[in-house]
Amino acid sequence: MITERLKKVILGELNLDDYYFQDSTTANLVPGWDSLKHIAILASIEKEYGIRFKSLEVIRLKNLGQLQELVARKVEEESERKGE
Amino acid sequence: MWLVSLQKDISLDDRIVWDYWVENARTAPENEAIIHWVAGEEPYRWRWRALMMSASFYASYLQAQGIKKGDVCAIIIRHNRDFYPLYMGISALGALPSVLAYPNPRLHPDKFRFGLEGMARRSGLDWVLTEAELEPIVRPLLLRQGSTIGGIFTPMEWGEKMEGVKEQFEHPEVTPNEPCLLQHSSGTTGLQKGVVLSHSAVLEHVKRYGDSVGLGEWDKIVNWLPLYHDMGLIAAFYVPLTAGIPVVQIDPFEWVVAPILLLEALSQEKGTMSWLPNFAYNLLADRVHEEDLETIRLDSVRMIINCSEPVRAESHDKFFRRFSSYGIKREALAACYAMAETTFAATQTAAGTPASEISLDREMLSEGIVRLAKKNDEARICVSSGPPISGCDLRIVDDSGKDIPEGRVGEIAIRSVSLFTEYRNSPDKTAEVLKDGWYFSGDYGFLHRGECYVIGRKKDIIIVAGKNIYPEDIEDAVSQIKGVLPGRVVAFGIEDISTGTEQICVVAETREENEEEKKRLRMVIIEAGMQIDITISRVYLVPPRWLIKSSSGKPSRRENKERALALEI
Repeated sequence: MITERLKKVILGELNLDDYYFQDSTTANLVPGWDSLKHIAILASIEKEYGIRFKSLEVIRLKNLGQLQELVARKVEEESERKGE
Repeated sequence: MWLVSLQKDISLDDRIVWDYWVENARTAPENEAIIHWVAGEEPYRWRWRALMMSASFYASYLQAQGIKKGDVCAIIIRHNRDFYPLYMGISALGALPSVLAYPNPRLHPDKFRFGLEGMARRSGLDWVLTEAELEPIVRPLLLRQGSTIGGIFTPMEWGEKMEGVKEQFEHPEVTPNEPCLLQHSSGTTGLQKGVVLSHSAVLEHVKRYGDSVGLGEWDKIVNWLPLYHDMGLIAAFYVPLTAGIPVVQIDPFEWVVAPILLLEALSQEKGTMSWLPNFAYNLLADRVHEEDLETIRLDSVRMIINCSEPVRAESHDKFFRRFSSYGIKREALAACYAMAETTFAATQTAAGTPASEISLDREMLSEGIVRLAKKNDEARICVSSGPPISGCDLRIVDDSGKDIPEGRVGEIAIRSVSLFTEYRNSPDKTAEVLKDGWYFSGDYGFLHRGECYVIGRKKDIIIVAGKNIYPEDIEDAVSQIKGVLPGRVVAFGIEDISTGTEQICVVAETREENEEEKKRLRMVIIEAGMQIDITISRVYLVPPRWLIKSSSGKPSRRENKERALALEI
């Protein structure tokens, strides 16, 4: 399930009004989401959530569902780190 | 090492590329030839002895399948450590390897097949070597009437089959003037031209280009460029392998998602050289995290060579500012002017000095006059691509092909010992650009103090991230959309300073007036671009008869570009 917050960041970066994202959606299906845009989208997500992706993490992403899971995990790690 | 033997023997005698590879394996069997890099894994290190043994196995097995001298073998395989010996095995048989881009998942399978079929027809592809995943998409081409393709193989699956195969194969007689390889221009219409290069063109180029960049046994090349691109194939495959220099090969698909990989490889492997298209300077400078650079040192890098897109001064500045504290030296920022038709480079800036920059009066330049900018002039900074390399001559000519004086902009014509033989099966196309031994490049530029500055193109090709895109391909795709007036479409590129490359814009005439419907149509146009693997960044929908026609009766790209951009002001 893709959250509204993540969806908004992606749509904003792609300059799209709306798009029906599902867990199984892959980047190549989304208008404007090419390899150059991909890295800009990831940077916007990092900024929005205050997280940092590692290169291996992003290389292994296969679809939107995995991106959503990665974001949730990173946010949790970040809040644990700050709590310590 | 080949470089050592080269110093003793300047003439290239009657050897072909394979002979140099054999020589490298004989003289330095345990030296590293290719370091195959995969993110998160230990790199696989091909040493010369093992690489050539594997290449010989492939040659032997391919010969048993019927592949013979002169056959064109299309290779459509992603980053794989067995790609290299397979390629070399094809070359060993005197066949012509031709690396083609593995289709991006967004490219519609029918469009891919259509493009490949057109290419097969034009270039006479004899065999397709691909991955099991792509085989069902390619297979129908075999069954078409008049197909030139004799067979489709999936060599990355041959592991067990190749057991027991002897590494001996029958060496065909191949002379240096015979074809070595076939390169294809980009495009999706199947009209791509196949550039045939001879062994002597490739070997002369390796020697002379190697000299121009001061290539030596101290060098190690690091490459993320795809090997279907001339910059990847020649600068980062033929040059290092023929000269006996190790090369690190990074997966282009991984690099574009994680550009830090290039810096990691340069740092860990102590790489000395890398070739990059202009957009990569921006991408690296803008998209790499500071904390990922903690262990990176780039002191070993002596040349980063900008090529295959217009070289932008601000991209060099940005890259230097970002990475100078990690060891990048200003003099490492080099540039060259290259194309498949001259094997690769025609010019190259000198090693050890940064590419020169000159500030020109922009208005005068638009009139074709090269004049240094004065204090209050609007200036355009042009970056040099260096003087011609040895064996290469340059002329600047007018539209009728006559020389024009220094200080004027014209078309760049090149004569080179590494000139291509022909566009395969296209004598007319060859004759259009190859006249009396000179290749007319279609690029506009000028010479200043003996150095070449490339500033534009005669044709309307758009270059996005080092990839040439023909506006016709986009216009054809968009013209077929319901709601767009057929033939009333123009596509063009605009400079995007932030990414250091071009963005694609489309202007299409429509009778649609409803704003909601127009919004939907814009989306359909962007999706049509995606199906041919092209990202359209801006769509302008305009009413009928809005587009300005040229004298040929077709909408003029140049005039309509100006008109469309004015809409935004």
